[in-house]
Amino acid sequence: MDIRELKKLENKRKMNKGYMWALFCAILWGIWYIPGTIIWAVPPFDSMWVAIDATHGGSMATIAVALLISAFNALTVIAALLIWNGYLGKFGEMKRTLKEFHPCSKWFFLASIFGGPIAILGSFIAIGFIGAGFAAVAALLYPVIGSVLARQWYGEQISKRAWMGILVIIVGGLTIFVGGAITEITSGSINYIGYIGGLMAALGWGIEGAIAGKGLDIAEPDVGITIRFIGEASIYWIILIPIFALVGYPMFEYALAAFNPLSIIVLGFAGITFGYCYVSWYKSFPLIGVGRGQGIGNLYGLCAVIFMYLFMAQVPAWTVLVGGALCVLGSFVMISEETGDAESLRGE
Amino acid sequence: MAGLRPIKFRLLELFTDEKEHWNNEIVTQMQKEYNMNSNFGRDSINFDILELASGGMLKSVESKVDEDGVYKKGFLLHKYVITDFGKVRSSDACLEYV
Repeated sequence: MDIRELKKLENKRKMNKGYMWALFCAILWGIWYIPGTIIWAVPPFDSMWVAIDATHGGSMATIAVALLISAFNALTVIAALLIWNGYLGKFGEMKRTLKEFHPCSKWFFLASIFGGPIAILGSFIAIGFIGAGFAAVAALLYPVIGSVLARQWYGEQISKRAWMGILVIIVGGLTIFVGGAITEITSGSINYIGYIGGLMAALGWGIEGAIAGKGLDIAEPDVGITIRFIGEASIYWIILIPIFALVGYPMFEYALAAFNPLSIIVLGFAGITFGYCYVSWYKSFPLIGVGRGQGIGNLYGLCAVIFMYLFMAQVPAWTVLVGGALCVLGSFVMISEETGDAESLRGE
Repeated sequence: MAGLRPIKFRLLELFTDEKEHWNNEIVTQMQKEYNMNSNFGRDSINFDILELASGGMLKSVESKVDEDGVYKKGFLLHKYVITDFGKVRSSDACLEYV
């Protein structure tokens, strides 16, 4: 085999590795909706909702519980990521990267704002108001935002074929989304705040991916994602939860009550699935680009529907099945792309 | 300075001389500086170089098969040079760019 062939093969291997990471992300992300749904029915979050509903109404109860769940989710993700980094021996690199705030860490802290209080909190709000199935598919548009921003901000090259795959996935996502929305509109009850939560998730994750891509130029993904979650946890525990507590919500009382075995198990499960899904997401970006990484990662919508069916007996509607099939098709359009000699994703 | 900055920063710094460097030579130097002498450490550093190339900060100008096993027998070795984009990102990373 000549050098040219070997180079092609090496490039192909690299792309495949990136796609594999993105697929891991999709599967783990899909599984995450199981603990993400169960946690609402676990003490103290169930009684917290009832208590706040009595004083402030159901909508505020859902938002306050979503905030506390998101805050714990961030903590368990950090625990999972610290184990991961310890296993890889990357604590030294983490310290070095954290110190480099101006050129490096600031991007992860910025990503944590969009990924945390906007995307993840939005997603929990969507789960709380409408349901996990909806929350999962509502964010399916995020790769469009991520791809467009990555192209605008740092000229990431996205081939026509990759665009085509992304578009098919989006059409699939919209089929799932619109199908659910029509059912809800015809039933006469529309949870506007839930839809806003879904929109927050789509915008937040799209923007986060593009910003994180910038930080990942010069940081290792395993380390970058941990810093990103340290940022998110800080926003919840240092800013948002104290503000909610100050205006009269019993945040800290229920936070303390969350230290019970059942809640810890469910939150731990959420932390493991979400933490490793995020590691896979960030690891795929430098290899296949933000656009493709997010496009394949988008299969999480379909995975979530499958896992929700298998473990929670939530039967999907036909629109979900058609949309899911389109999502798979779109991903195959992207994966089957001939990468040729393209060594860089930035068109060098 | 060595060992005190994130690995990708240091990698870019090593390339800011604008000379061409073989990946295996850079990996060996980094392994010493960061005390990452295991095979895992070696592959991890090489992977960071791959990511920098994938991100358009380095580009491969020459390749050869590792016949003698200086890095890994049968693998492709690459000679990289920093790109203009790499220089910009190096400056962003507050590296002293000469």
